[in-house]
Amino acid sequence: MTDYTLELRNVSKTYGDFTAVDDVSFAVPKGAVYGFLGPNGAGKTTTIRMILEIIKPSSGEISIFGSSSALEVRDRIGYLPEEKGLYKKMTAWSIIAYFATLKGMDRRSAKRRAYELLERYGLKDFADSKTEALSKGMGQKVQVLASIAHDPEFVILDEPFSGLDPVNQEVMEEVIRDIAARGHTVLFSTHVMSHAERICDQIVLLAGGKKVLDDTVENARMVIPRKLRLESASDLSFLDRMDQVLRMVPIDERGDAIPEGSGPAGNLWDVHLSDKAEPIDVIEQCLKEGIHLDRFDYSPPSLHEVFVHLVGDKAKEASFR
Amino acid sequence: MRAIFLIALREYAENAKTKGFWIGLFLFPVIIFASIFVQKALEESTPTRHFILVDQSGLYGTSIREDIAKTYRSDVARALGEYVQDHGVNSVEQHLPDPEKLSADLLDGMMAKAESVMGPEMDAMFTPAGIEVMLTQMATASGGLVEDRPPFEMPKARFQEVSLPIEYDADLPIDELAKILRPYLKGEKTITHDGEQIQLFAAALLPRDIQESIDRPGMAGLLKMAADQESARKAEADGEAIARKGGQFWAANLADADLKSRIQRSINNELHHTELVLRGLDADAVAEVNETSLSLSSLDPKKDEGKEEVSMADKIRQWAPVGFVYLLWIGIFTISQMLLNNTVEEKSNRIIEVLLSSVTAAELMLGKLAGIAGIGITMIGVWMGSLITILKLSSGPEAEIPNVLLDVLLGSGLIYWFVLYFCLGYLLYAGIFLAIGSLCNTIKDAQNMMGPIMVIMMVPLITMMFIPKDPNGTLATILSWIPLYTPFTMMNRAAADPPMFDKIGTLVLLVCFTFFTLLMVGKVFRAGILRTGQPPKFRELLTWIKS
Repeated sequence: MTDYTLELRNVSKTYGDFTAVDDVSFAVPKGAVYGFLGPNGAGKTTTIRMILEIIKPSSGEISIFGSSSALEVRDRIGYLPEEKGLYKKMTAWSIIAYFATLKGMDRRSAKRRAYELLERYGLKDFADSKTEALSKGMGQKVQVLASIAHDPEFVILDEPFSGLDPVNQEVMEEVIRDIAARGHTVLFSTHVMSHAERICDQIVLLAGGKKVLDDTVENARMVIPRKLRLESASDLSFLDRMDQVLRMVPIDERGDAIPEGSGPAGNLWDVHLSDKAEPIDVIEQCLKEGIHLDRFDYSPPSLHEVFVHLVGDKAKEASFR
Repeated sequence: MRAIFLIALREYAENAKTKGFWIGLFLFPVIIFASIFVQKALEESTPTRHFILVDQSGLYGTSIREDIAKTYRSDVARALGEYVQDHGVNSVEQHLPDPEKLSADLLDGMMAKAESVMGPEMDAMFTPAGIEVMLTQMATASGGLVEDRPPFEMPKARFQEVSLPIEYDADLPIDELAKILRPYLKGEKTITHDGEQIQLFAAALLPRDIQESIDRPGMAGLLKMAADQESARKAEADGEAIARKGGQFWAANLADADLKSRIQRSINNELHHTELVLRGLDADAVAEVNETSLSLSSLDPKKDEGKEEVSMADKIRQWAPVGFVYLLWIGIFTISQMLLNNTVEEKSNRIIEVLLSSVTAAELMLGKLAGIAGIGITMIGVWMGSLITILKLSSGPEAEIPNVLLDVLLGSGLIYWFVLYFCLGYLLYAGIFLAIGSLCNTIKDAQNMMGPIMVIMMVPLITMMFIPKDPNGTLATILSWIPLYTPFTMMNRAAADPPMFDKIGTLVLLVCFTFFTLLMVGKVFRAGILRTGQPPKFRELLTWIKS
């Protein structure tokens, strides 16, 4: 039996007629880095708040460290909320130390830990500055550090990357990897797929309050067919007859599909492969036919594409509601 | 418990760092200090008032001059007393036996005694040599004077007569004299006195026929009044200036009427004296009669038998609660406002979420209440401490009011009631402010909701001055039973011994009301604190409270 840090069973949250979270179940194993994905308004923040027992679910069960109440195990949890804010008049170190003491650390070690963390993540010079003097990105880093200062076994980060420049996004990834390296569990939400792709073991995809996907990153990629991009002046129609090829789509220079009947197909094609097919099968076939290929591109589908494929319509709908 | 303590500690530390807190802390003692010492300084800085006295009748000049001299001599006597007090060897321990006796009555007594400083043998005493003698005599009571003392300085005269410039004839008609003196009185010209150029403050002009304008009772008086009115009407009809009769007092400064009333009093005393003598009474007997007096003592039926005299302390005790009410009001609302601001800050920048993932809403609320209460107690403590210190510093036999105030502050039970009502009033109002804070995302929202609260809050300030006059009246009683006003009104009434039923009843009601308010606030706080967007509708609020 796997040791789960967090388990959600049929959790729903309704506000009047509006269902923010609809029958969501998933489990985060101990030590995993779990990505919590979904478009705006998918119910990610609501779910996180329910996990932390800031709000109560309308139905369903949440178990965290085997406890039904996050408050009972709150000292083992670290939390970074989606909207970032700090006490303006407090210094960076004192704010980190304050939150650490609230989580049960004694004042002396909390202070030492605050300075340690600030130094490790490049904010040493700002340790004694009031947070109102910090830039937005620095303030956010301070807040992240505040949420992990007590070395929690389970860290929940709501949109940790938003508002950070690329360099600091990498620092943030490093923070998450550091936590994972200690065998601690991380659940973080984001809508930037590249981060999830790089650091997650597993992802949960939410859309319109419903769970759409819950799998490893590898498997998630399989959700959409793999594609080859070929360029050739020759006729490639023989490929369409192969078992391994699902279909051939003519595309233009920008990679967009050319709709049927809207002009002649050019030299560019997207070849959709079936599950069992390997890209090498296509190359072999081409060699056999003696076809000269000007271009052969293969890259596995990105999470971004998976995301758009799965929730694209819902996301658009949500953002225009 | 630990979480509550940590939150309280942070609230305390962060608020204690704000400028507003320190300004509030120091402003109060500064104001107290200023109100005690500025008054004194103002008194001392009032310049000598120079005046011209022209008495053509020759009837009143002597008595006026004598009275002015008397005023100065009693000033000198008082200054000598203060000097001995300040520089006497034993004067530090020497406290007046009963500060309560140092009332306005005593001051009158001193004035009366000043009469005796007017005899010819006394003139010698107010020469520099005589003053030395007096000083030595007075100092023996204080065990001599200390060595390194500054020399005694004669006090500045409050009033100084200057003579009419010699180029003018004092026998000119009054109206002409007035015309001549006008530029001097308006400050356009200066007058020479003792070789110095000085500003003329006032001119008292008494005409030759001053006796004709004496107001008398009975038919004669009425006839005179009618004749005066008739002549005034005629003058108006003819377009002439109204002919003024009687003495005239000219002064450009209308605010300082001290000199005028002194001169007027001298004239009337002298007038009464001569009238009595005219009626065949012995001049010495009249003078003696004038010195006799009777006074009514104020007695308070509520005090112990044999000690019913109303003293200065009693009067202060009666009014001291007003000061306490004001402190209560300022204290409670200053810190409740802090609580409101902090809550809105936490809410608007979403720190609240992190806090709530670490502590429960109840812990957060209690921690905030406790932390800000600490601020309030510090503030009140500093205020009280500085008040007592200032009073102690300025007390002494010469300063009766600080003495009595100190006595009232420390001796009566008012201070305990004050602490009790401060705590309860704070919890009640802080609770309400906390609920408002939890519902608002911005200070602007909060201010909108504060509007009605402000109106409710103004009531104790308005009634503050009326209640001591009728402390157990209907208005006071009704207000006492409204929990929102109980702390203020009962504090206001505290000195007047309100009925036990009111005291205990309102207290119980207040405690219960505060308790239930805090319970409700807890619910509103929990539901409101995470809410974003618009503050909730009233109906929504009710469902939260019911849940």
